[in-house]
Amino acid sequence: MAFDERQVVDLTQPHHLPNLRPDRQPPHPSWLPRQRRGTTPQMIGRYPDYDVFDARPTWDPATARVVDERMGMAGRRLTFFREEEQLTLRAFCDVCVAQDAEPRVPVAEMVDEKLAAGRLDGYQYADMPDDRDTWHLVLAGLDEVAAGRYGAESFAAADTATQEAIVGLLAKGELSGGSWDRLNVSRAWSVCMRMILAAFYSHPWAWNEIGFGGPAYPRGFMRLGPLSTREPFERPGATSEDPVRVAPELGE
Amino acid sequence: MIRHLLKGSIGPEDNDSRFLLDVHRRDLPGEDTMVRYEDSEEVDLVVVGAGAGGSVLAQRLARAGWTVVMLEAGPFWHPDEDWVSDEAGSHKLYWTQKRIIGGSDPIEMGKNNSGRGVGGSMVHYAGYCPRFHPSDFEIRTRDGVGADWPIGYDELLPHYERVERELPVAGQDWPWDRPHRYPFSPHPVSAAASVVWRGAHRLGIRMRVGPVGIVNGTFGNRPHCLYRGYCLQGCKVNAKASPYVTHLPDALAHRVEIRAGCMAARVELDEAGRARGVTYFREGSPVERMQRAKVVAVAGYSIETPRLLLNSASARFPRGLCNNEDQVGRYVMVQGASQTAGRFPEELRMYKAPPPEVSSEDFYETDPSRGFARGFSIQTVSPLPIGWAEHVLADGHWGRALREYMRDYNHWTVAGVLNELLPLPENRVTLAEETDPYGLPVARFDYSLCDNDRANIDFSTKVITEILQAAGAQDVLTIHRYAHLIGGARMGTSPDNSVVDANQRTWAVPNLYISDGSVCPTQGSANPALTIMALASRLGAHLARTGV
Repeated sequence: MAFDERQVVDLTQPHHLPNLRPDRQPPHPSWLPRQRRGTTPQMIGRYPDYDVFDARPTWDPATARVVDERMGMAGRRLTFFREEEQLTLRAFCDVCVAQDAEPRVPVAEMVDEKLAAGRLDGYQYADMPDDRDTWHLVLAGLDEVAAGRYGAESFAAADTATQEAIVGLLAKGELSGGSWDRLNVSRAWSVCMRMILAAFYSHPWAWNEIGFGGPAYPRGFMRLGPLSTREPFERPGATSEDPVRVAPELGE
Repeated sequence: MIRHLLKGSIGPEDNDSRFLLDVHRRDLPGEDTMVRYEDSEEVDLVVVGAGAGGSVLAQRLARAGWTVVMLEAGPFWHPDEDWVSDEAGSHKLYWTQKRIIGGSDPIEMGKNNSGRGVGGSMVHYAGYCPRFHPSDFEIRTRDGVGADWPIGYDELLPHYERVERELPVAGQDWPWDRPHRYPFSPHPVSAAASVVWRGAHRLGIRMRVGPVGIVNGTFGNRPHCLYRGYCLQGCKVNAKASPYVTHLPDALAHRVEIRAGCMAARVELDEAGRARGVTYFREGSPVERMQRAKVVAVAGYSIETPRLLLNSASARFPRGLCNNEDQVGRYVMVQGASQTAGRFPEELRMYKAPPPEVSSEDFYETDPSRGFARGFSIQTVSPLPIGWAEHVLADGHWGRALREYMRDYNHWTVAGVLNELLPLPENRVTLAEETDPYGLPVARFDYSLCDNDRANIDFSTKVITEILQAAGAQDVLTIHRYAHLIGGARMGTSPDNSVVDANQRTWAVPNLYISDGSVCPTQGSANPALTIMALASRLGAHLARTGV
């Protein structure tokens, strides 16, 4: 079960999946091919020659408009979170979906926009504040833990290992004191992650990374299986071939 | 034999919706020419809520010559512009106004179980349309749990059959329940769903394709499904059934007014204790209006129907309308909806084809050897990326591990269950202290599982995990969750055990009816949409017979 990234990677095998590995952590993403077509977060992915935007001419106008607006979120000024919260917010969003390099899906901007517009999910736990207050408390709590327990200036200033350790405690509901005592910690984790994941995986770059077909109206899908599950515009998952050799064959 | 030959060609009687739709546009035809009634005009019927229950009732009574106004809190959809082939962009389809959730097992609301807008939550339901089983109507007698209905399967049967022709439902011949056929042939099975089928087959568990309210072929002006996989985001094709395409076109053609953007505040009574209309707010206006009516039907579903009754307190009903016996809002049920995903060597790309594909009711009935009462059904589901991320998170992964599982998306398939969780009096809707923008107290929904529920959930999760393993899964991930709502204003035999009688008339107010899923005393392991429609169809037939 040992994972050697120099070995031939066979995607029919599941050796890269965390549950099947001794430390329940994936291998370093360096085993993944660099994206050759289109953009993925951090330019890694399993479908190096797939770009969901290739199919954009087949999307209906209403859907195209929604996706375009999402693409315009990068660089948007944050209005919901206060200046002093923004570094913590960005660091927290980065750690939760492991975005450690550019290009990044603008998760912080997308979360901020949703909270500013009050587009919440329609429920509030009886033992929790409003989702908007939960976000403020979580960011404050992250800074408190980083300073109080790890001696860092703030959560954003801590090194990645410390940030991951703190988020690991949050995910397990094992934080207390200060702002955390005003929250049900496990539920606070779920409130934040719901919004972070909805932002990250609504972004076309993430669709490229995972090989998702994207918007499909009015075109639809024809290849449901069993003979093939791949449309002509879709691309197979990354293989063990050397991308430098394969790219010319794909017409790049 | 004859019925097999005629598959797909038998249309419903007394419902022209499929012909009234436009082939090239998705808008509900008749919005511009719709009749408009004055508030002061006493119409025959005002319906609160334009979802599964309210729409079928309105269509039936409009056909019987009644004048009908429907009040709908959400928007009048124009699907070509409003609905998108996108997960996050479909947020507006859900009832996202605040609700407070409590109890030891709080139920997440919103996209999971609550709709808003003309067509209701069937706009974003998956499409599964199974019937309840005969046993569901008498679980107290058979299994000593829950409650018996005051009506039986046979009283609902003609309406099940009628609504199945109207949707229309596509599926294989059904060996469970009381064996029956469906009006449309089964859809093709996707690669992802066929893997689940293979695992079940190896364990001797029977699976069948469907039953889904998705056109297989054309149906009037409704086109064939495109297999694009966005059933839960609103069908932009008009292939998936919802009242928006199955009943409201015909209703508008028969003098029904749908007043969208209108939030009901109170049911008003006259001095004799009869309902005389519904007070409501038009979106953006603080002015209270009142639509007068001879008969009032509430169809706001299990959270908003009790909320409206409780908000309609008066001197005669100080604890809320119809609540002098403390029954309103009680026995609200959800179904356990745990899902297990399995990883396979080949690319399955589960985002293709409708998420509802194949299902099994082999575990539906009580089996004493399992150690709990009642049972569950098994259904395939196929989450899109955000849904898949929530699944991965629920198994305890975030950060790099989550990204790794997400990148593996195309190798996974998902099997889900629907557990029959039992009706309990303390699982109820009450009013919270918090108010909405109109000043109306919002609903609070408390929910806690009982031991029988937990045993059912544990057992069923083991079964779907075994199915995936039998199919050759290399890894599995599980999420425990809930789906659907039912109950909250149940029907029964007397005012001290229920809110409405066998004809869905409230015990307390002679011309007030409830026409939604909240009247169900039990829920079976079946998705509730078809039963909610069948009950509304039955109520419509009853009122058409008795007259205003």
